[in-house]
Amino acid sequence: MCLVKSEIRPSSQGKCMCEKNTSHNSLIKSCCVIYFLLFLSLDLQSQDTCDKTISGKIIDNETNNPLPDVIVRAVSNSQVFGNRVLYRSSDKFSISDENGKFLLDSLCPEEDSLVFSRIGYRDSLISLDVDFWTVSLTETSVELENVLISDEREKNLGTQTLSQQSIILEDQAVDRTSSLANLASQIDGVTFISTGSNVERPVIHGLYGNRVLVLNNYIKHGFQNWGDDHAPEINIASVERISVLKGSSGVRFGPEALGGAIIVEPDQMKLRQPYYLNINSGYQTNGKGTNYSIKTGKGFKNFGYNLGLSYIKIGDRHAPSYTLTNSGKDEKGLNLGFHYHLKNFDIKTYYSYVGIDQALLKASMFHSGNAISRAISSEIPLIVEPFSYDINPPSQWVKHHFAKVSVDWWYNENDKISLIAGRQLNKRKEFDIRRSIEKPIIDLDLTSTDLMLEWDHSFSDNFDGLIGLHFFNQDNDNNPGTQTTPFIPNYNTNRYSFFLIENLKFGKNLFELGLRIDNEDYNVRGREVSQNIFRDEHSLTNTTFSIGYENQVSENFSFRTNLGSAWRTPNMAELYSFGSHGFKASFGFLRYYYNEDEKLRTDKVTIMSESILSPEKSFKIINEFDYNSEKNKVKLTLFSNYILNYVFERPIGLYGTIRGPMPYFIFDQTDVLFAGSDLTLKRKFSKNFNSSLTFNYLWSNNLDKNGKLLNQPPVRIEKNLIINANKFWKVNFSEITITPSYTFSQSQAPMTISPESLINGENNITPDTNIFDFKDAPDGYFLLDFSWKLDIKDFTASIMVKNILNKKHRNYLNSMRYFADEMGRNFIFNLSYTFRKID
Amino acid sequence: MKNIFKLNYLLFAVLTLFVFTACEEDEAVPEEEEEMEVITDVTLIFTPDAGDVVTATAQDPDGEGVLDLVVQDEIKLQSGTSYTLTFDIMNNLESPGEDIGDEIAEEDDEHQVFFAWTEGAFSNPSGNGNIDNASDPVNYNDSDGNGNPLGLNTSWTAGNPTTAASFTVRLQHQPDVKTATSGANDGDTDFELQFRLTIE
Repeated sequence: MCLVKSEIRPSSQGKCMCEKNTSHNSLIKSCCVIYFLLFLSLDLQSQDTCDKTISGKIIDNETNNPLPDVIVRAVSNSQVFGNRVLYRSSDKFSISDENGKFLLDSLCPEEDSLVFSRIGYRDSLISLDVDFWTVSLTETSVELENVLISDEREKNLGTQTLSQQSIILEDQAVDRTSSLANLASQIDGVTFISTGSNVERPVIHGLYGNRVLVLNNYIKHGFQNWGDDHAPEINIASVERISVLKGSSGVRFGPEALGGAIIVEPDQMKLRQPYYLNINSGYQTNGKGTNYSIKTGKGFKNFGYNLGLSYIKIGDRHAPSYTLTNSGKDEKGLNLGFHYHLKNFDIKTYYSYVGIDQALLKASMFHSGNAISRAISSEIPLIVEPFSYDINPPSQWVKHHFAKVSVDWWYNENDKISLIAGRQLNKRKEFDIRRSIEKPIIDLDLTSTDLMLEWDHSFSDNFDGLIGLHFFNQDNDNNPGTQTTPFIPNYNTNRYSFFLIENLKFGKNLFELGLRIDNEDYNVRGREVSQNIFRDEHSLTNTTFSIGYENQVSENFSFRTNLGSAWRTPNMAELYSFGSHGFKASFGFLRYYYNEDEKLRTDKVTIMSESILSPEKSFKIINEFDYNSEKNKVKLTLFSNYILNYVFERPIGLYGTIRGPMPYFIFDQTDVLFAGSDLTLKRKFSKNFNSSLTFNYLWSNNLDKNGKLLNQPPVRIEKNLIINANKFWKVNFSEITITPSYTFSQSQAPMTISPESLINGENNITPDTNIFDFKDAPDGYFLLDFSWKLDIKDFTASIMVKNILNKKHRNYLNSMRYFADEMGRNFIFNLSYTFRKID
Repeated sequence: MKNIFKLNYLLFAVLTLFVFTACEEDEAVPEEEEEMEVITDVTLIFTPDAGDVVTATAQDPDGEGVLDLVVQDEIKLQSGTSYTLTFDIMNNLESPGEDIGDEIAEEDDEHQVFFAWTEGAFSNPSGNGNIDNASDPVNYNDSDGNGNPLGLNTSWTAGNPTTAASFTVRLQHQPDVKTATSGANDGDTDFELQFRLTIE
């Protein structure tokens, strides 16, 4: 009886589960689709003229909430090719209103399909059967069940068999001052490591820093990616979607993706989109922070654009019992993009800028053993001053410019050649508490250039792939005037890469194979403390691979597995750091050697070819099981990651210095093994009430130093309770999320040796001393968070309360845990207005 | 079609610009910096009202490198003699060496030298110094703009003869921390050196 044939854009996933995840008052949709009901009402007057009308209502099948902002477009000549659908778009489109209703009129007979799209989702297409058009001359109402808007988008070739999850910021009550890492940590298995309240970097299954690749708009974010205190400079206001690949994706995206990759995407500037304007403002009580952003864009027939501006200002945050002096932040962002469409060509240009001025806790910067010892053993930070918006040293100042041009040439219906060029300039200055405080201690300009040529090809419906050539160049220069020896030398890197990814489908099975070859060369020029110049030139070639398999076992159950390799060369800080920085003194891999008496010496720089240094190589296997029924959803991820030549820092001894005795550290290599699991259980109790439980566990082992690893994420359990309601008073939709979570104390933490016991001689360290920490891992803690999101007409209001109980706690993954507590209770208010117009 | 060609030229131009600027060979070396953070040599200079100048040096031969600090001399003072103590603070890793003392004198409101000694080693000042307690007596001859002591110039009168005494100097860097009451544990330590002290 239902004559309407629904045709979903086919995907490698087949039908998969809707992940209306509940963690952190957010909507995380993992791999797939959102089910919704569509009610169509047709009022078709005649067959030949363009005067047909179609109207309908779109509601979420899970919650029965009307889905607003779905763009419905009439199209003609739709055809399915492999995993793509081609169609000719008409100018006629409509947007579902707050009640989920839409209306399209003046339709012509050849416009036989509707394309549904929603921001952050992949388009889906419903073809309206020709007969249906003929038959339904009178008004009819049909109910289409399980029409899918797939949010799978194009999973990137080469990553289809990897565990992959996304967050769409539009759909959430979001603290728009959060960092990228903080937002990504809503995904299970992802957490973040931080230095204070402002610097946060993502951790995937225990790996972080330049073992996790951050791709901004599919280009590697070119920033000073070393040390624990440098976070990727991503302007959250410009971001529409954050995706996390939890497997090793070195083949597709290149070196450094050992632990996985994080992909940040702005508005994709689709064509034929209505004009939109979004104005957002927020206030938070902790730090008396304000933020504003404005976003606008439109897609014409052959042209689309977007434009965004944002501003964030936050003062000193406070812990439950004191002010975290010097923890403010100031951030300005701008992004601008254009999309031109010319017959078979799509040309996109995108520019973004972010300027950040951020403070680090004042009570954390000491260089001498006795000051560090006092700071670490003190119950409250040694420096606590009244609230202020001032940003004083220690602080960081960064300006990041990003430009990208891409040309896609669809030379065939199913084949595409893309040329992508990216250019980034990252200017960074860091200020320390020192003599000549007004001068930066680090002042670097880093220019990154990417050129990629990719051939996206399809031999048949079941066999397609991607072949690419990639050139990458980085140029790092020190700016003079720091009055200190450059911590990071000047360097130039060139990398030439070739990769090949092919996908084969047999029924419900998908095989994915990938291979990559990289050749990298370095030219390094630095200065020793004596101001003598050192130089090095080096080149190396490396091969990586990946094998993946996916099986849609049944309607409710799917399984995927992937074995991938990745590699990276140690970063400049791991190679060349020298002396004290922050609260310890360490020597990079090339800055120390043992002399003929087996004594450690640091008086010369070893060149790479004479060093025993090898690039880090990782092999990660990740398995994901997905079960999805009407009421229950289970996702289990099991992984294991073996890393050869893992670079890490270890203690080497205690040395008398002019500042007093100090423990020294060196960078060394070892082999390590990680294993763990992420488990998510979800249950839908009723239409308006559901819950989820997430459990993350990671085990790590340092294989040949018989020791532990520092800074590994502890076990964490999080529960989410979500209550939603529709249509009361003037509210269209309301969602309350309550999130209790418990983070355990890290039981695998290395032993503790306090700086005091080293200085006074109670403990002595030698080259045989195992890894240790200066302070015990903090106790476990229970946190309670709350959020309430309300949609009223074009406005969305949200209130979030973080750390409702104002619990005093320290986070093992925050290096400021030595000196201060985490932030106390924080009320975050947000109000956003979205205007959409069809003309 | 014409438009497409034009656009292709434009793209070609943009892309070649990318390539060429990227391939520019760059051999720039970081410029030489006057290193103001590293201190390698600290010399204590005791100048008596009359007689021989006494000096004692501590040296960290490779600065922040792993070689240990060497206290090269002991301090030998004459009982009952009055001395003025000044410092020579250098970074000798560079040649010529950098005089860090000038830098400290310039930022006098952020620095203070504190002292500790075996009780009784000096008749003036009395006591055991102000590292343990900032209000204990030390004869500062210099002060910063706020009237707080600096300690690059101090006066001492040696006490009764002894061979087993010690003398400790500690330079504290105290930006925004130094006040009339701040002590030897406030701020960060730039150097802390202990010398053997003999009074003949």
